[in-house]
Amino acid sequence: MSHQRYPSHEVKEPHSVSLKVLRLSRPSLVAQFPLQPPFSSSSTETTHHHRPPIPASLAYSPISKNKSADDANDADTLAGPSDAKPLSSTFTNPDPFILSPILNLPPSFGSAYVGETFSCTLCANHDIPPPIDGGPPLSRKTIRDVRIEAEMKTPAGALTKLDLLPPDHHDDDDKGKQGKTGVDLDPSVYDSSTLQKVLSFDLREEGNHVLAVTVSYYEATEMSGRTRTFRKLYQFICKGSLVVRTKTQSLSKRGPGVKGKRRWVLEAQLENCSEEAMQLERVGLGLERGWICREDLNGWVDQEGKDKPVVKPGEIEQVCFVIDEEQDGDGDGDGDKVAREEGGDGRVGFGVLQIGWRGEMGNRGFLSTGRLGVRVAA
Amino acid sequence: MSEPEPSGQKGHARTKSAVKATRPRSSTKGPLDVDDVPLISPSITSPAVSAPLNVPLAPPAARPLSPNLPPPRQPRMAPLSHHGPRSPGPHPRTPGTTSPNFPRSPALSPAPATPGMRRGPSRPKDFAYLLRPEIYHPLTPLNVPPAFRNQSGKISPDTPIPDLVARGLFRAAAIAATQALTGTGDPAVLPQPEPTDHARIFDLLYTRLACLTLIDCASLAAQEVKALGDLNSPFYFEETPSGGAVHIVPWELRVLNIRLTAMGFGDLRRAIMSFYELAREARANLGDAVAQHDNSAKELWKDRLADLGVRVAGALVEMDDLRGAAEHLSGVKGANGDGEGKMAMSRALLFLRLGDVESARGCVVVGGGGGGDNRAKGDCTVAEKVVLALCDMADGEYGVALRRWEELREETDDEMVGVNTAVCLLYLGRMQEGRALLEGLVGEGRASHTLLFNLTTMYELCTERSKGLKVKLSEKVAAIGEHEKTNADFKL
Repeated sequence: MSHQRYPSHEVKEPHSVSLKVLRLSRPSLVAQFPLQPPFSSSSTETTHHHRPPIPASLAYSPISKNKSADDANDADTLAGPSDAKPLSSTFTNPDPFILSPILNLPPSFGSAYVGETFSCTLCANHDIPPPIDGGPPLSRKTIRDVRIEAEMKTPAGALTKLDLLPPDHHDDDDKGKQGKTGVDLDPSVYDSSTLQKVLSFDLREEGNHVLAVTVSYYEATEMSGRTRTFRKLYQFICKGSLVVRTKTQSLSKRGPGVKGKRRWVLEAQLENCSEEAMQLERVGLGLERGWICREDLNGWVDQEGKDKPVVKPGEIEQVCFVIDEEQDGDGDGDGDKVAREEGGDGRVGFGVLQIGWRGEMGNRGFLSTGRLGVRVAA
Repeated sequence: MSEPEPSGQKGHARTKSAVKATRPRSSTKGPLDVDDVPLISPSITSPAVSAPLNVPLAPPAARPLSPNLPPPRQPRMAPLSHHGPRSPGPHPRTPGTTSPNFPRSPALSPAPATPGMRRGPSRPKDFAYLLRPEIYHPLTPLNVPPAFRNQSGKISPDTPIPDLVARGLFRAAAIAATQALTGTGDPAVLPQPEPTDHARIFDLLYTRLACLTLIDCASLAAQEVKALGDLNSPFYFEETPSGGAVHIVPWELRVLNIRLTAMGFGDLRRAIMSFYELAREARANLGDAVAQHDNSAKELWKDRLADLGVRVAGALVEMDDLRGAAEHLSGVKGANGDGEGKMAMSRALLFLRLGDVESARGCVVVGGGGGGDNRAKGDCTVAEKVVLALCDMADGEYGVALRRWEELREETDDEMVGVNTAVCLLYLGRMQEGRALLEGLVGEGRASHTLLFNLTTMYELCTERSKGLKVKLSEKVAAIGEHEKTNADFKL
């Protein structure tokens, strides 16, 4: 995510509050490659036992260094803790398996895809620069009433104000309603040198998005005070994740004068054009009034025990549905209904295709196609 | 501690590989020699014989021996084979060290009739090709934070390698292992092994490679492991008194070799194949142990077999075949008593990685003790609760997950639970609490890579000037006596 700083015009002095941002994709499971200790460091013959791995080769080690260092010497713990291996504490690590349950924060921004929920955290920090070498100590500043606001500008040009969580809450409730008052930052008080917020935004469009964050605060010195504001822009590109191609064909009996409801088959190809595997969780039709999905020909949808398809990057999954015109209770009027919905070109729209998926670590995605239609045979 | 500079080759990787990646021609050496001079009488002693042998071998001699070459399926064989005539093995490079291998044992004479596998046990094999300095890369301390560098400066040069490993000084251990192998260290402390002392050579080599992977230098290890060549070559087998053949390379080194070789060639499918080859051997040994009622051997081979099964799944994960890995794991039995729980956990983690949260929950809820809904009964094991908390996080329910993690923290002092609680707090906008929690863990003497990474990430979020905090953290961790970390661990 590239960002530019827009210094406010009136003040040249560096800001006393810094803003830091981290995209909160899902945290990831840490990989590990457990290794047996070198044989020379164990007194036993190599063929006697399958020894526990070197703790340093695990994603997290079962033993706390301090605790073990008390009685046993370090050598024993590190080389092969044959004695100090409490099963209960090693058990959560499924070594020698490659994945471990310990979670890593997202190391980088990664790619943003249409259909995902973009989430990120904003931290406004009490960050008064230290005095320049040899210079006089800066006068003590107090930072009060810090507020963060965030907006997302989408490629279509829309500007959306984003909700920030958690809502401000203070011990002194009399300060006013949430959102109206900022937060005081004081590094000398535990836990209050940073104001942290989390935002999320559903990505719906491909292209350039700009996250604009405005931080305002009141900077008070012993003598005076002023309100200061700065704004930072974070730009990122949102890519398409899924290409959906659809085709509808009539299944009804042909010919004029054929009575009964009409029936179509809808086929769709879902191509994963992202760089991550996705597991399709739900593919369904959002039908308009007057239509009914007679048959869902995709065995895995809504069925227990069936593996949901995993679509790797570049792969395609094909789905198929049979759609009927809904029959009125008295059995007539179908034609009228269809006719009502027709545009001028003989096309009838029946609804949308909705696709929900999960990415790595359960990251959710959801897409809905544009309105799909059929050509009504004359 | 400095390391021997690879002799006279700087610069381009390709030139390097011509020297370094030379397959050990050793696998063809014995029979080749015999073929060359088929009529050597046992009475002829070394000076006379070794001279012609050390002349680079005539290419025709290689032909009849092709059965002894490792099967050509390895892709690396192709580009390298044409070097064959030019680099006929280690002998010419180290004539001094090889001469003790001659005279030959007369047992070798019938070798042409008995291909590789049944080689005379009495003839000592020559592993001088693993003692060449040009195999090993110099290691720079530049990516180690100063706090740790100062610490390793205090190591006494006569510290034995096992102690270095035990103290977590993996870089120093890797360097010392190389010094011993190449005879560039202090002979009193690190005597160079005899070229025939394969136990010690492999011990040192394993120490070297294992330590490299522990200091984030696995790619170097992947280069250096090539010196071993194909471990399936008959050269690495020795005849047992009972007539069978045993592999002389320690099991741990063979397992590590598979991973490193796959890394070096970027071919994980190969790793899976090699794991299966090892598994076949383990199975055979297990059968023998059962037949001989050797219980400790039986347990050992059972464990090794289970270990391989899990490693195959790991290779599948690295190939991004998560579904395949999950299928595979469902057929693998864990080692020991805790195997089943570990398997359930492993499969759950796979499903989580895939994003299939429901299947992940299924792994623990169905597999758990009482059956039915364990959560209601509250009799989940710690591991099951961990999976459930991870599932909640995957669902984006960080509040629910936090409650689970906090419950777990009361039950266990597992580092992972602490780290995950802190991660959860960050996602809930309570980073300051998470940071305090992680700092507390460091204070308790924990210092996993992930803990440090997450904590330094939080430092970066807390201030524009996080470097000071990171350096302080590195000093704190160094003071604990934790094994040597790299700058990357502290994002320095």
